[in-house]
Amino acid sequence: MNNVKNLRTFPGNRIIWHAVIVGIVWLLLLLLNNNIDPLYSSYLALVAMYATAMFGMTILVGLSGQVSLGNGALMAVGGYVFALTSMNWQTVPIIGWQWNAVWSMVFSGLGGILIGGIVGGLAARLRGPYLAGLTLGLAVGVPAITNRFPELLGGENGLMLSVPYPAGGYAALDSALGSSSDSSSGATVDPNSAVEEDQYAELDLSEFEQGANPDADLAPEDLLTDGDLLTEEDFGVGDQLTDGDLLTEEDFGVGDQLTDGDLLTDEDFGTGTDLAVDPTGITDAFDSGFIIERWQASMAIAVACLVAFAALNLVRGRQGRVWKAVRDDPVAAAVVGISPSGSKISAFVVSSLFAALAGAVFAQILSFIGPGAFGLGLSLSLLVGIVLGGRSSLLGAILGALLLVWLPELVDGLSGDRGWPEQITNNAPNLLYGLLVVAVVLAAPGGVTGTVRAWVDKARGKTRSPLS
Amino acid sequence: MTNFIDYLLGGFSNGAVIALMALALVLVWRSTRMVNFAQVGQAMFTTYVALTIQQSTGNWLLALVVAIGAGAILGVIVFFLVIRPVKNSDSTGAIIATFGVLIALQAGAGMIWGGDPQGFIPPVDNAGLEFAGRIWPISPYDILVLSATAALVIGLTLLFTKTSLGLSMRASAFNPEVARLSGVRVNRMLISGWAIAGATGAIGGVLIAPASTISPNSFDILLVFAFTAAVIGGLDSLIGAVTFGIGTGLVISLVSGYSDSGNAAIVALVLLALNLLLKPDGVFGHHGARSV
Amino acid sequence: MKYVLPLTHPLLAVENVSITLSGLKILDEVSIGAPEGAVTGLIGPNGAGKTTVFNVMSGFLTPDEGIIRFDGKKLKHIKTHHLTKLGISRTLQGVGLFESLTALENVMLGGSAGVKSGIVADSLGAPWADSAQNKLRAQAMEIMGEFGIADSVDRYPSELPYPVQKRVAIARSLISNPKVLLLDEPAGGISVGDMAELGRMIRSWTPERTVLLVEHHMELVMEVCDLIWVLDAGKVIASGTPEQVRTNPAVLAAYLGEDGGNTDVGNG
Repeated sequence: MNNVKNLRTFPGNRIIWHAVIVGIVWLLLLLLNNNIDPLYSSYLALVAMYATAMFGMTILVGLSGQVSLGNGALMAVGGYVFALTSMNWQTVPIIGWQWNAVWSMVFSGLGGILIGGIVGGLAARLRGPYLAGLTLGLAVGVPAITNRFPELLGGENGLMLSVPYPAGGYAALDSALGSSSDSSSGATVDPNSAVEEDQYAELDLSEFEQGANPDADLAPEDLLTDGDLLTEEDFGVGDQLTDGDLLTEEDFGVGDQLTDGDLLTDEDFGTGTDLAVDPTGITDAFDSGFIIERWQASMAIAVACLVAFAALNLVRGRQGRVWKAVRDDPVAAAVVGISPSGSKISAFVVSSLFAALAGAVFAQILSFIGPGAFGLGLSLSLLVGIVLGGRSSLLGAILGALLLVWLPELVDGLSGDRGWPEQITNNAPNLLYGLLVVAVVLAAPGGVTGTVRAWVDKARGKTRSPLS
Repeated sequence: MTNFIDYLLGGFSNGAVIALMALALVLVWRSTRMVNFAQVGQAMFTTYVALTIQQSTGNWLLALVVAIGAGAILGVIVFFLVIRPVKNSDSTGAIIATFGVLIALQAGAGMIWGGDPQGFIPPVDNAGLEFAGRIWPISPYDILVLSATAALVIGLTLLFTKTSLGLSMRASAFNPEVARLSGVRVNRMLISGWAIAGATGAIGGVLIAPASTISPNSFDILLVFAFTAAVIGGLDSLIGAVTFGIGTGLVISLVSGYSDSGNAAIVALVLLALNLLLKPDGVFGHHGARSV
Repeated sequence: MKYVLPLTHPLLAVENVSITLSGLKILDEVSIGAPEGAVTGLIGPNGAGKTTVFNVMSGFLTPDEGIIRFDGKKLKHIKTHHLTKLGISRTLQGVGLFESLTALENVMLGGSAGVKSGIVADSLGAPWADSAQNKLRAQAMEIMGEFGIADSVDRYPSELPYPVQKRVAIARSLISNPKVLLLDEPAGGISVGDMAELGRMIRSWTPERTVLLVEHHMELVMEVCDLIWVLDAGKVIASGTPEQVRTNPAVLAAYLGEDGGNTDVGNG
């Protein structure tokens, strides 16, 4: 009778499982990222970014039962902290280190934790509609704060980011955008610049020109010494991960990518140029074949996977039970020794941390941060995604993220065939989101994952007889 | 000091509109014990309807009347299609659903009327009145807004205190079970609550539109102001909503005057946070014993 | 072990507690104690204030006047979520299980006060956090085995019959190894056969644990309690052994004042 095999109630090596699952998904995503058109890589980056933020929504809205419209604003916090730390401190050496993306991400996360703690402390006292209203105020008020400090935060115009690309990336991009005939021919090989209708690709390139070019002034040596810290592994596998299996898998994944001969020939543009500007002679496939969309996607995927690992551990462990218990019955939860407000605050802090990391990723994807990108619309998107995907499951967050990126493209594709006016096309996704949210709340509150799970339960119940 | 008085006077008209939106939120709260976050979305939509009428007929009063009717109908539609089916099953879902309605309404308005801000021509002059040798920050249009708001507030007060419909609505809000037993058609009262709220919001929308421009998202900030006012007022107090609606308008006007209009949202956020922190049930709200 | 009055050292007590809610005096200078190692019953007609006493003891309400005394310490107010840490466990009317957690997870949560792995360790999957959970899980499995509900570990409360839910709730309150158990209507909604077993179970916890229960079923109260307090209209009107209470005219009068109540007392 003690042999209950269910993973949910009998985890055994639960953590190892989580690490293995996340590691495999990470590996697959990296392989995918390296073998698709860079246009799709930019979508992949967005999906990973949304998923990162929505893992936090799963915990906050789903498990803890607090409807928040503030997570877009919390993303802005992370994005601005990233922008400020990477911009102003990038070249300040501290104890022999350069400020780089990893450190800026750490600061973004800390900023998220701080703000999340403050808002969460306030929110824990509030019931449903009051909390929703307060976070709504946050969504509207935080972007307004950027106007309050125009010198520091850039006001309405926002801030351009000097995204700390990997070492070779600067050189590759520099040459790709430079005037040399080598690189201009390389740029046409890059499918990215050939795709005219892709707004993200265009955005990336144009932003790059404005945002990253100033950094081309930096001495190549600086970039290259910096580059040791800025390899993808640093981004992805932090020191926190002590699991040996995962590390080797990860190493294998990155190694595989680096030695991939096909990639090298496909994406190879201006290897010679790279070698020329590379005084130390350290080049590898990643550097010489640098494609900004791929780099963005692998960075976003790394953050999403790390966050997913933490979220899995929390959601499927003690903390997940605590959050659900308080949501189900705060009085009974208090009686068994759980502090209801403490639990609500912890959910807020965790979701805020995830949101801030997602915001930092978003800022890097855009090479830009401004109040417009982090307004109420973003917060509403996160809510839509989490509700449609499935409020209380991490898989639901991923599905929601996919939906947020895919649906507008779908509508775009459909309208392209039919020649709908822009006014219709631009608003159709949101109309669908709004109607779907209402429909899901009414007919299938569990979203996609909840509904599928209910079907599975029903099927099981028939074979097992639930009355036993 | 002159500045202070000017800013203060200039805030009344905006405050009146915030009061109307807060009233709409309160009316819905009283009837169904929930916050309708789609309220300003509905108002935005009906304001577009009014804009269309005005553009085609040039008749502002007709536009207002149609908007009021559309607002009431939209309120009832939202109630029937969304709120009634969801209400008791899932309180989190009910909040989310109202945001779903907001998103859909904004997108729908964008589809029909486009996303570009459009101007709304006021029926009377919107320039400051000249009086006693100087120009005051109050225009004939502001006076119209204030009198319309005052008339509406008086009308609603009379409705709730003097008419049987109003009494039945109050009974339903206060204790639906008892009301039902004494023969009140509670469901009909809930519908009336949503219809009146929709109409009130619609009036607010039409009144605010000429002061700025109208676009699908232009009322978002109004939702925050109105929610702030309604919550400070206690969420179920009509007089609280009006008082603090106007109060919020004055504070915002002062803040905008002395610093920058962009700070208004921050001030509203701070007001709301402070109020929720200090007095989670509002100033005028009824304090029930907290359930354990 | 039948407790002999007068009690000298109650483990948990309220002393001279008064509470007024919306102008109504719910408790009026009430002093009630649960002697260590005994089963103490708290009875009285509906609205007498029994549950209010429990709510004061478990921190849902702060008394206007009077104090709570636990283990010799005077307390003005107890934070509900500190109860299990103090060694007090309370069951709720009905079952109060968490609907979206399995029976096992419900029981495990009862012991969560004893597990202090932080959220950071949890999120990183620190080995000690996981092993603490595995230990708690084993403990929960064991206690559920003792209660004969081991085959329900993976079930959600809604899938379980009511008596099993009750057992899960009791298992959840026992896993923290409390010194004092506050049982709020433990017999509510269960059958006569189950009630006899419940009585045996409660007796089996003493004298290691101290039990205080609010209960309507006089049979059970008379059967298991060493000491009974009788409340009426917010005041203690009687106390003593089951025998003393059964024959106390004031108690009879109080129950007779409420229709139907008398039969309960009479045939207990």
